[in-house]
Amino acid sequence: MSLGRMGVRRRWAVAGAAAVAASALLAGCTGASGSSSASADEINYALPPNFTPNWLLPIGTAAHLNTNNSSIAGAMWEPLVAYDGSTGKVAWNKKGSIATAADFAADGRSVQITLGDRHWSDGTAITSRDVQFWYNLITVNKKQYASYSPGKAPDNWTSLKVIDDRHFTITFDQSYNPQWMLADELSLIRPLPQHKWDKTSASAKVSDADKTTAGAKKVWSYLNTAAKDISKYASSPLWKTVSGPYTVKSFATSGKVVLTPNKKYDGGEKANIATVNLLPFTTATAETNALRAGQVDYGYIDPSDLDQKESFASRGYSVKPWAGWAITYMPYNFNNPTMGPVFRQLYARQAIQRSIDQKGLVKAIFNGTATPGYGPVPQGQKSDYVSAVQASNPYPFDTAAASKLLTDHGWTKQNGVMVCTRPGTGSNQCGAGVKRGTTFAMEVLSQSGSSVTDNEMSAIQSSLAKTGIKFSIRTAPVNSVLSQTPQCTASQSICKWQLSYFGTAGSWYFPAFPTGDRLFASDGGSNFGNYHNAEVDRLVNKTTTSDDPKAMQEYSAALAKDLPVIWLPEPDYQISVVKDGLGGFSQDSLANFHPAQWKWTK
Amino acid sequence: MATVWYLVRRVAQAVLVIFLVTIVVFGLLHALPGGPARGILGAQATAQQIAAFNHEQGLDKPLVAQYFYYLRTLLHGDLGTSYTLNEPVSALIVQRLPRTLVLTVLSAVLGLLLAIPVGMWQAVRRNKPFDYAMTALSFVAYATPVYFFGLVLVLVFSQALRWFPSQAPQGDTLGQVLSDPAGLVLPVVAGAASMVAVFSRYMRAATLENLSEDYVRTARAGGAGQRAILLRHVFRNSLTPVVAMLGYYVPVLFGGALVVEQLFNYPGMGLLFWSAAQSSDYPVLLGCVLVISVATVVGTLLADIVQRIIDPRVVAGNS
Repeated sequence: MSLGRMGVRRRWAVAGAAAVAASALLAGCTGASGSSSASADEINYALPPNFTPNWLLPIGTAAHLNTNNSSIAGAMWEPLVAYDGSTGKVAWNKKGSIATAADFAADGRSVQITLGDRHWSDGTAITSRDVQFWYNLITVNKKQYASYSPGKAPDNWTSLKVIDDRHFTITFDQSYNPQWMLADELSLIRPLPQHKWDKTSASAKVSDADKTTAGAKKVWSYLNTAAKDISKYASSPLWKTVSGPYTVKSFATSGKVVLTPNKKYDGGEKANIATVNLLPFTTATAETNALRAGQVDYGYIDPSDLDQKESFASRGYSVKPWAGWAITYMPYNFNNPTMGPVFRQLYARQAIQRSIDQKGLVKAIFNGTATPGYGPVPQGQKSDYVSAVQASNPYPFDTAAASKLLTDHGWTKQNGVMVCTRPGTGSNQCGAGVKRGTTFAMEVLSQSGSSVTDNEMSAIQSSLAKTGIKFSIRTAPVNSVLSQTPQCTASQSICKWQLSYFGTAGSWYFPAFPTGDRLFASDGGSNFGNYHNAEVDRLVNKTTTSDDPKAMQEYSAALAKDLPVIWLPEPDYQISVVKDGLGGFSQDSLANFHPAQWKWTK
Repeated sequence: MATVWYLVRRVAQAVLVIFLVTIVVFGLLHALPGGPARGILGAQATAQQIAAFNHEQGLDKPLVAQYFYYLRTLLHGDLGTSYTLNEPVSALIVQRLPRTLVLTVLSAVLGLLLAIPVGMWQAVRRNKPFDYAMTALSFVAYATPVYFFGLVLVLVFSQALRWFPSQAPQGDTLGQVLSDPAGLVLPVVAGAASMVAVFSRYMRAATLENLSEDYVRTARAGGAGQRAILLRHVFRNSLTPVVAMLGYYVPVLFGGALVVEQLFNYPGMGLLFWSAAQSSDYPVLLGCVLVISVATVVGTLLADIVQRIIDPRVVAGNS
């Protein structure tokens, strides 16, 4: 056979194979998956990238109770007091709460809670005993409990006394600010089905095991062990007794969760959509692709995609930024052997802060999807907690003024970088501990993986250089940043870090009442840079113990002026993209989602 | 007997390599400053919670003790539990590995089905327009990042034409994955593109080399037609380097799978490894490294054996 004839036959063969392949592919198309719900009975909600739901129990360790797991658990087991931003402002959402009233004693040392006339999905009444069950488990197992902070609940609760099935009293160790107590502590309480869960093993009978220390430990262990078996979430009877508007229909180990309404729900936030699909995505790109292909009803885009707003509008979506109840900052390591003495000088911190062009960053880097933040209270939403000092930005961007601050305090610019030439503690000298020849050069360990953050750090580097401050950038995944920038003492090898940034999605999300006891109090567990100011400690304490409405504003003003960290713009929690017709809800600034509030309006 | 001895030697080498890999990876992971607790538990974790986590995970013990504990549990078939995913590592691997295998095997099969005839035909049509065109295409395909190529596939075939979904099959089981062939099309094509580019070049070079061999000239002189020469003689001999490369290509396939899995929302082994690296999830990282090491060692071993079957001239271990 000649090559020519062979070529003709080969071409026919290739054409035939191509036709077969095309037919097979097109046949495959008919099985296309993951299309948008486009139905009043279903919704596809995109979970954050690289997150797979993996925990259902509403009590657990810090490794498990992240925001999204908590949101799913919250749809199944309603909190006693839902103090969140789901109503458009951070407040007590009574419709989504099991308690109907919280009456504080005049001396602020106790509170009497009234429960609504509510029932579990199996018809049993929700009673004070279910709250006591939670209280007993948490009190005994507080060190494992995700939301435990020493000195706070349950440490500062001296007792829980059941009055009757629908009333109980919690007594405190001292007088507290009722608003703080309600928003940050009582909101932690989650009535649990004692009549189903109060047992020490799967085969044990339900009893009052929680009433002894040993029993409470065993119950905790049993529940937490059971919760590790994700494959049983949809089938185990343990997870079937719920108080919230939804229950789990399926919970795939690969991450997809399907919620279905609790038909016996008798609370104020009844489910509107019959099937809620919570979809996991490996990356934001994969999610955006699915969104563009119409496979998601409620998703998100990267801030850099905001210029494609019209494109999404033409596909039947609206872009809705979701502001978080958060602040974003860069902690100083005040104990760093080299730069710690410099950071301890207020004028130096002022010079740094005056070199940060927050408005410019918001416009150029964040595409308008962030809010300048000048202090310890979130400024993404209006609130009574923000002081006039913080709101007015006490240290506006001005690199010339920043340079002058340094030169007025004994620094001289050499080869573009400030060097301490007048050491000493006088008013025109570098300050205590700052040696002659010290170069104003600092390094940040910044979160990697975000072009927005990379650009933000570069912009900050550029503006600091104008002041004469050298700013080096090192990057690592956010987990590494957190691991490598802990609280430390100067002699520890880990204390070499100078500045830390883990705020691509906001550095710190507050509970409803944005006090800074964990962040800026000298003994705060997340006071990474070892900031210490006795006056601030007093003000922080006052925010939680005094009902003076000015306490928060005094705290806000003090920290806006004292600069315990570098204040930076607060990025929106998420740039949501929502299918037209999906409404009836506000995006909770506390970063939780509330499926029961979603409904198709057309 | 020589082959058996060779196999025993290779398996022993493989076990040693894997053992060394676990030591190196374990050491490197624990050399990272700060440890994983703060990263796993987040910025809001208290000192007590971090201490409790370290104690629970045995991270407060000396490093050598930790390693021997890991080795002991490993020999009992326990790879530990993921810090972040709340599941045993073995269960995660059992879930994810078949998904990645489906993707990589289908990509490899598609890639080879295209690369082998294209490479051979290029050799036959050496320095002709077809050869030039395919060479240019190969270079373009080889130089195009998988991520970019996949993105183009999504834009064209998912968003513009709407022929295929942008996501790979989302089912948990292998059956569910295979029951959604449309979802597999784009990821498999994306994964196969670079293979076609690479292996068509190997096939072209090997075919050219064989076409100039004496045995081909002898066959021609004996009256054998071009088709018979190509299919009966040259094809088989040209496969040897391709098969050898295929074995060494296993880690590359896993690497490519990571990109494809990210882009097409397909949680497989590649993505599991990447996420674990991002979150300092030591047990998962060690588990993944173990699987990839085993796959690489087995891949090269199989390549050697298949080479020997294809080409009897290849003496085991001295190909």
